[in-house]
Amino acid sequence: MNTIDEILDYAIDQEQQAADFYEEVAKNAETASMKKILLDFSEEEKHHKKILQAVKTGEHELTPQQEILDLKIADYLVEVEVSKNISYQDALIIAMKRERAAYELYTDIAARVPEGHLREVLDGLAREEEKHKLFFETEYDERILTDN
Amino acid sequence: MSLRDLLSPFYVWQRAFEKPYTTKRPTLDRPGAPAYRGFHINITETCVGCGSCHTICQNHAIDMVAVDEYVGRDGDSGLRPRFDYGRCCWCGLCVDICTAGSLRMSNEYAWISEDPGDFHFTAGIDDKPWQENALGYRRAEGYHLYPPKRITMPMLPVEESVNTFDEVVRGYDKEQAKKEADRCVECGICVATCPAHMDVPDYIHSIRDGDYEKGLQLMYRTNPFPATCGRICTRRCESVCPVGILGEPVAIRWLKRFIVDQVDKKDYPRILNEPIGESDFKVAIIGAGPGGLSAAYYLRQQGHAVTVYESRASAGGMLRYGVPSYRLPDVELDKDIEHILAIGVDIKYDTEIGRDISFETLLEDNDAIFMSTGLSVPSSMRIHGEDHPRVLSGLQVLADVASGRDPGIGKKIAVIGGGNVAMDAARVSRRLGADVTLLYRRRISDMPADDEEIDESQAEGVVIVQQAIPVEVLDADGTERVCIKWGEAKMVDDPKGGRPRPVLQEDRMHTETYDCIISAIGQSSDLGYLSSEVQDQLAIEWGRFKPVEYQHTMMEKVFVGGDFANRTADAISAIEDGHHAARGINRFLNPDAFIKAEMQDE
Repeated sequence: MNTIDEILDYAIDQEQQAADFYEEVAKNAETASMKKILLDFSEEEKHHKKILQAVKTGEHELTPQQEILDLKIADYLVEVEVSKNISYQDALIIAMKRERAAYELYTDIAARVPEGHLREVLDGLAREEEKHKLFFETEYDERILTDN
Repeated sequence: MSLRDLLSPFYVWQRAFEKPYTTKRPTLDRPGAPAYRGFHINITETCVGCGSCHTICQNHAIDMVAVDEYVGRDGDSGLRPRFDYGRCCWCGLCVDICTAGSLRMSNEYAWISEDPGDFHFTAGIDDKPWQENALGYRRAEGYHLYPPKRITMPMLPVEESVNTFDEVVRGYDKEQAKKEADRCVECGICVATCPAHMDVPDYIHSIRDGDYEKGLQLMYRTNPFPATCGRICTRRCESVCPVGILGEPVAIRWLKRFIVDQVDKKDYPRILNEPIGESDFKVAIIGAGPGGLSAAYYLRQQGHAVTVYESRASAGGMLRYGVPSYRLPDVELDKDIEHILAIGVDIKYDTEIGRDISFETLLEDNDAIFMSTGLSVPSSMRIHGEDHPRVLSGLQVLADVASGRDPGIGKKIAVIGGGNVAMDAARVSRRLGADVTLLYRRRISDMPADDEEIDESQAEGVVIVQQAIPVEVLDADGTERVCIKWGEAKMVDDPKGGRPRPVLQEDRMHTETYDCIISAIGQSSDLGYLSSEVQDQLAIEWGRFKPVEYQHTMMEKVFVGGDFANRTADAISAIEDGHHAARGINRFLNPDAFIKAEMQDE
């Protein structure tokens, strides 16, 4: 994975995989309301994929320098299992931890490549994932940690 | 006729060229005195449309009118005073009574118009030059027609309250209640905000009249839990009371309690004497909390056969098993519940739907169902080590204490959370003799708990550590103790404009050992008694029901209410949900009779 296009293709594929993951979990979810939530998550990932496709064609620019708020909620919550009767709380934990893992991956790779356009793209991708993580963390803060 | 009489018109002409004694129009160069009671000024942004000016005006010179600039909302009727200067006597009483301090008078007194209609004007809305006038009559600072401070409620002293489960609030005596009732301006702004739309001004008026039986009747029209709400209501009414703008709001909750305290339970049937209609319909209610029992009370009055199914041994739901007795003694809760049951509501205790009777059977055997099973499952923190045996749930601790069981908390405990359950768990633990530290992720000002509860818990010795994020539960020496690792948080503004959010500072971590940790970070609903097919049919969103009109769900016979169907999760909202659902069920079962009854009410 050396060229910028290859990296973007990888990132696009990751977003598609995430969308597929939520669709799969939705298929097994017991209630229609949870199915809908998981399908909404899947749509969110497809939206991310579209953004990256737009980056590849030059229609959208990444923002590698942008500072994103890190609520650090995903850092200290336990890993949870995917199950048929998954709760909204657990679905959010899975989502924010996936985004965190993706963010760390791009950050790690960026640290290993020399300064230049390639690193900027990787940093930009890391920022994107950080934004997605913030979205789920904010939702968790707002809806789950109501009394805390 | 004399010659003098004949010539007199010509003498008048002599005067025609002299300086006149009268002026054609008032002199405009002579300003009114600095405190002159001239034309009115209203700061409409501050005015809440309470109508006290209208009520006090002895000349009926003020009408409250709708204006385009404001719409009704909590704490503001959306109306503004309109003055009729054909009637105004410039006494200034309207300025003296104004609860918001928005009304004043300019020192302007000259207004010329040939159209009498002009002299009806809405101050602050109709464009007038004196609106910005700095001079004129103002209410003197510190002068009020009613005392700005509420009558102090007698309370158990802290050194006593922390050692007993006896009720902390002792209640007003007659003289105190009458004085407090006299502070009410009877504007009714509170009625719109109260979820149950209780007739607050009139039941407070009944205290002035000493007619407590009438007060009780008025309360039962919209709320069959007055003894309870008189003690633990979240009192949104008080948060909008206009008297609270320049002083302290009227103690509406305590006045409600006062009325109930004056009436003996044995007199309820005579005083309330609810007519029971005739009906062949059967209605089942799941959950004997405030929502379920409120629905039962109003449904029974229609004559329906009402059966309440309760999984526990006693009725009351969270009011009994969640609210400690020092805030709501059982005997007071029972005063409300026993009257509801006394009008012919049947209740089956220790009966769990899904275990003892299936939901489907209930659906088949009844003409309508109202579900109000609340939020009974404590939320998990989802942090490492949380399954430690010394991590207890706040709900469980409160239920144990309510049932007379020892929750076994130890002598040094930490409570996690900032809601009412956390506060109750902390204060109960103090009464059980523990030193209590409460850890909360955000600031005290962000706590969802009632302000009074926060203040009283601190007075009773609960140490609140704010901006403390629990990150891990660890084993301690011995099985009877447990450690919690928590980090300090800094509050960071949400870039999207939401409330400030706590962010963990990893270099500021602390670890402390306790006898137990009580987790009280929130609750969710237990819908295990409903099959997934039924849940789908009910169209549950985000773990909560989303009723349509009149608490009706997407299932034909099923109505819902209470904490799991509203976002406010307080007793008064559940009570209103129950009342509203009762109307919805009546409409569903007997549409013609419902429409007729509604028309009669109007």
